[in-house]
Formats: sequence, C-alpha cells, structure tokens
Amino acid sequence: MDKIEHYLDQVCRSIGGPRSLRQHIRQELGEHLRDAVAEHLSGGMSEPEAIDRALADFGGPEQVRAELEATHGHRLLPVVIDKAMQWKEKTMRAKWLWVTWAHLVLVLVIALEVLTLTFATMFLVPRLEKLMRDGLIIPAAFEESGTQWIPAFLRGLNGAGQHTTWIILGVALVGALFEWRVRSENKSFIRLSALGTAAVGLTVAVALTAGALTLSFFLGLPAMDRIAAPFGIEQLASIDTSVSAIERALPTKDWEAMQENANRAARGVNTLVNVPFAIPGATSRRERPTIDELRGLLDAAHESLRQAQQAIQAKDVEGVEAALRDFRKSYHPLREAAKKSSGDEGARQ
Amino acid sequence: MDTELLKGTLALLILSLLNRRTMYGYEIAATVHRDTDGTFTWREGSLYPSLHKMEAEGLIVGEWEEKETGRKRRYYHITKKGRGALREKMQSWTELCNAVNRVLEKSDGQD
Repeated sequence: MDKIEHYLDQVCRSIGGPRSLRQHIRQELGEHLRDAVAEHLSGGMSEPEAIDRALADFGGPEQVRAELEATHGHRLLPVVIDKAMQWKEKTMRAKWLWVTWAHLVLVLVIALEVLTLTFATMFLVPRLEKLMRDGLIIPAAFEESGTQWIPAFLRGLNGAGQHTTWIILGVALVGALFEWRVRSENKSFIRLSALGTAAVGLTVAVALTAGALTLSFFLGLPAMDRIAAPFGIEQLASIDTSVSAIERALPTKDWEAMQENANRAARGVNTLVNVPFAIPGATSRRERPTIDELRGLLDAAHESLRQAQQAIQAKDVEGVEAALRDFRKSYHPLREAAKKSSGDEGARQ
Repeated sequence: MDTELLKGTLALLILSLLNRRTMYGYEIAATVHRDTDGTFTWREGSLYPSLHKMEAEGLIVGEWEEKETGRKRRYYHITKKGRGALREKMQSWTELCNAVNRVLEKSDGQD
C-alpha cells in the first residue's frame, strides 16, 4: 500500500487551498483506490497486481493532479520542491562525478597551499630573517601591539617547515588508516569534510604568511632611509666641496678646476635625483619637504649646475655667478632638511 | 468510447446517478461501468475534479459518513439546483441525440 501512499503524495501535495481540503481529497482518493484494490483482489489478482491495476485505472498522477489543480488551484512551494527533487534525482545519478570532482579540486587546492607554504618557509622567511639580522628591517617595528604575532608566527612556520617530512608522513598515515579501517557508507563525505577542513586551515595559514611577510616589509621600510642616510650625507658633502671649489676658483678664473668641480657637483646632484629618500630627513613624518618637493629642488639645482657648466665653458664669470646663485636657492632647502635631521638624530642619541 | 464525448456527458451521468440515490465516488464509477456494460471507460481519477467542481457550483453536496467497518466515505447527493441542472442537461441531451439520430437516419437511408 506504500505505492498508493506515494501516488497520493504525488497527486495531492501541490493542490491549493487549506490543508484540511488536501487531507479530505487525499482520503477520498485513497478510499477509492482501496475499494478498487479490494475488488481486484476478490477477482483473483495478487496484491501487487491489484494495486497496479487500480492505479492504472485511476490515471497518471500528473494528469489527476493537473485536473484537481484546475478545480482547486495549486500551491507554489510544492511545485518548486517538485522541480528541485526532479533536479536532485537527475544529478544524484551523476553522484560519483560530483564526488570525484570535489575530491580533485580539494586535493589541488591543498597541494597548491602546501607548495606556497613550503616556498615561503624555504626561501622567503629565511631571507626576511637575514634582512632583520642585517638591520635592514627594524626588529623594533614588531614590538608594537598588533604586530607582535608576526615574528612568533614566522618562527612557528619555520619550525613547522623543518618537520615537513614528519608532518607529511603523519598525514599519510592518518589517511591510510582512514581508508583501511573506516567502512561507513558516508566515507566519501567524511573524506570530503576532512579535505575541506584541511583546505580551509591551510588557506588561513597562507593568508597569515602572506600578511606577515608583507607587513614585515612595510613596517621595515623606515629603516631603509636610515641605511641610505650616510650615502646621502656623503653626496651632499661632495656637492658642498665641489661648489665651494668653484667659488674659490672663480676669482682666479681657473676654468679647468671650475669645470672639473662643476661636473662632480652635477654628478652628485644627479645621483640624489634618483634616490631623494637618501637625503636625511626626507622621509620624516614631521614638516619637512616631501620626496616630490625634494626631487623638484634637486632638478632645479641640477639645471643651475648645467648652466654653470655652460658658463664655465664660455668663460663667462657673470654667467657662472648667476648660475651659482640659482643653485644656492634650490640647494639651500635640501641642506637645511639634512641639517635638521642630523640635529634631531643627535638630540635623540 | 471516445473520451472527449464522455467528458461532455460526465456531469449528466453523475447528476443522473445521484438523482437515484446518494453515492460515493467509487460507487459512481462502478455503477457507470456496470450499467453501460463497460462501454464507458475513463480515468477514474478524472471523476473527482468533476465532482468537486459540481459541488462548488452547488449542484451536489458531499458529506463524510463513517461505516461500521470504520471506513469513512464521502457521499454525494444532488441538490435542488442540481435537479434543475439535470433537467436542462437531459433536455439538451435528448435534443442532441434526436438531432444526431435524424442526421444518421437520413445518411443511413442513402446507402
């Protein structure tokens, strides 16, 4: 009789109107079918035959349902559920395909994440540690709250990386035990859950690694200008010396010495144009010229020196003096910025 | 018999049967089958939408009754409006039959 109940489910579930109406219709149709089965049984049929005959005489469930819906209306939700069930039945036939695909994707994701972490552990983290040891990245940057986890995490990652072989062996052992011992009908779902959890965990680890490495460089950047400062000071000193030499050679009209020093000063300025952050105080957060402003001043100074070189070539004393005046105008703020920075450093020390 | 022709006569048959006495769905189907010697064969499931429609139109009334066996059945009986409708349908049917018969008789005479 389960067949009759299933049939009645198919016919009655989407009929519109109140629940009591559906129950009445279901009972009425059920009584009819049971009467028909009883008559066929009394006619000598077996029960399965009698049920099949009664259902066949009654008509296909779709037709009967459509006629009842034409009289009583239909409910939307059961129609949607019916469609979903049909889709499910269709797709479940390809269950093995979905399960295999899900396994493949998860294994691929896990493999990529493991490769990323291995690469980070073997190449990036040791390099970062070397940069920190060399002082290129300030360790003090990780003493602020919110950044303290970075060195600890990277140390942990490095530690885990040193035991990669054991970790892989452990995972392989657990996997082998699972495949050997577990006999549940939900085995593939358990496996998928485990793989999915591992993939999510590794995704978090990869994100933390990427964040730790990126933040380390961002936080370490302030050390770069400190490291470059001696080079900047050296360049500024060289420019000062060269320009002073030009000024000393000007009264005696030593054009050769002037040319040589003008070239040297121009080279120094040109070098600083490419690395303006090397000028002490250039990257300070306080009120100092910005990098763009410094670059503008350096360009102007370089242009003045070019004019001075041309005037020296033309042996034009007034031209040289005018070019040096222009040079000082542009160069003075650079010198002041460097002096202030040196003063601040001295005061800090 | 042609099911389309049967559809048009189903309401007439139901009202006619219920004019005899109250009946439940399976009984109506079985009586039609028996009285017509199986000439009328239709999907029994299509009986109920017709019954419900006629009930909604007030031609018949259905009531649940519980028998000694414990089974509940929905018995239908014809209303006054239903009797009026039955008369109209019988008259229409008679006119239709007569008209069709006249045509058939004349056609038969020409063979």
